[in-house]
Amino acid sequence: MIDDELLGRVRAAFQAVDPVPEGVVAAGRAAFAWRVPGAGLAELADEQEERVLAGARGGRVRALTFTGAGVTVEVEVHDTGRGRELTGRLTPAVAARVRLRHVGLESDGAVVEASASGHFVFAQVPEGLASLVFELPDASTVVTSWVRL
Amino acid sequence: MALDRLGEPGALVRRARDGDGAAWARLVEGYSDLLWSVARTTGLSNSDAADAVQTTWLRLVEHLDRIRDPDAVGGWLISTVRHESLRLVRHRPPPPDERPAEHSATEQVVLAREHVCRVGSALRAMQPRCRNLLRLLAAAPSYAELSAVLDLPVGSIGPTRARCLAELSRRLSA
Repeated sequence: MIDDELLGRVRAAFQAVDPVPEGVVAAGRAAFAWRVPGAGLAELADEQEERVLAGARGGRVRALTFTGAGVTVEVEVHDTGRGRELTGRLTPAVAARVRLRHVGLESDGAVVEASASGHFVFAQVPEGLASLVFELPDASTVVTSWVRL
Repeated sequence: MALDRLGEPGALVRRARDGDGAAWARLVEGYSDLLWSVARTTGLSNSDAADAVQTTWLRLVEHLDRIRDPDAVGGWLISTVRHESLRLVRHRPPPPDERPAEHSATEQVVLAREHVCRVGSALRAMQPRCRNLLRLLAAAPSYAELSAVLDLPVGSIGPTRARCLAELSRRLSA
């Protein structure tokens, strides 16, 4: 087929001038390691952003709401310019183990305990793609969808 | 790995669900070129396109158990990378003191490497719509998977493809 031959040349031209970077393929392969089999998924349902100009805590605040798997996770990311603090609340409120996963970090991520009121804090969060994992008292697990912090 | 040698994508999804990392790797290797092409034809820079593609794979990982039709994973991936790319386009407007780029990322690359081959040169001379369509068609296994990103009904992809290929042919023989 002459058309198929021509499309083959188009493909070769783009692969020569703008190939997929190997790092992009490697990141795709590595994504599988983040799978938590059987976990429920809370997806991003709302996102708000505002600048906080006044006071010592001036900067940028992003409010993210994730819903699904029977929970709501409200997160505020406060960017002071010197770093990012993540505060959150899990509803219904339970004492859960909370892990912050981050694609830029080698480790499994930082772990904190949510209080009985469902509140939790991560003091220093680097920029990049991140997701929260909640281990609930009933032994079930909920992950939030990945977002760029 | 070319998509036509990938085998059945749905089978790879089912195997990945069962924890088969090799099946996952084959999916990634089979679809990376297409996802990269979709991200780049929305006009994203290299780093933003990389971000959109990485986010797409993370989305598939979190949805792996929830994909209703594993055989349609190609269409799901294409829709997702397009959605993530357009979100980045919206969230990262050029700074106020920077003029909007006159050419998309794809166009710049083709312009810069015009000498690479006659096909590149002919593609450069074409309208972005035809150029992007041919890039995506060249990277995609089927029309059905592409209809979402092309903003074209499946039925009109064939005629548009024929028209763009005829134009490319004309330019190559001119």
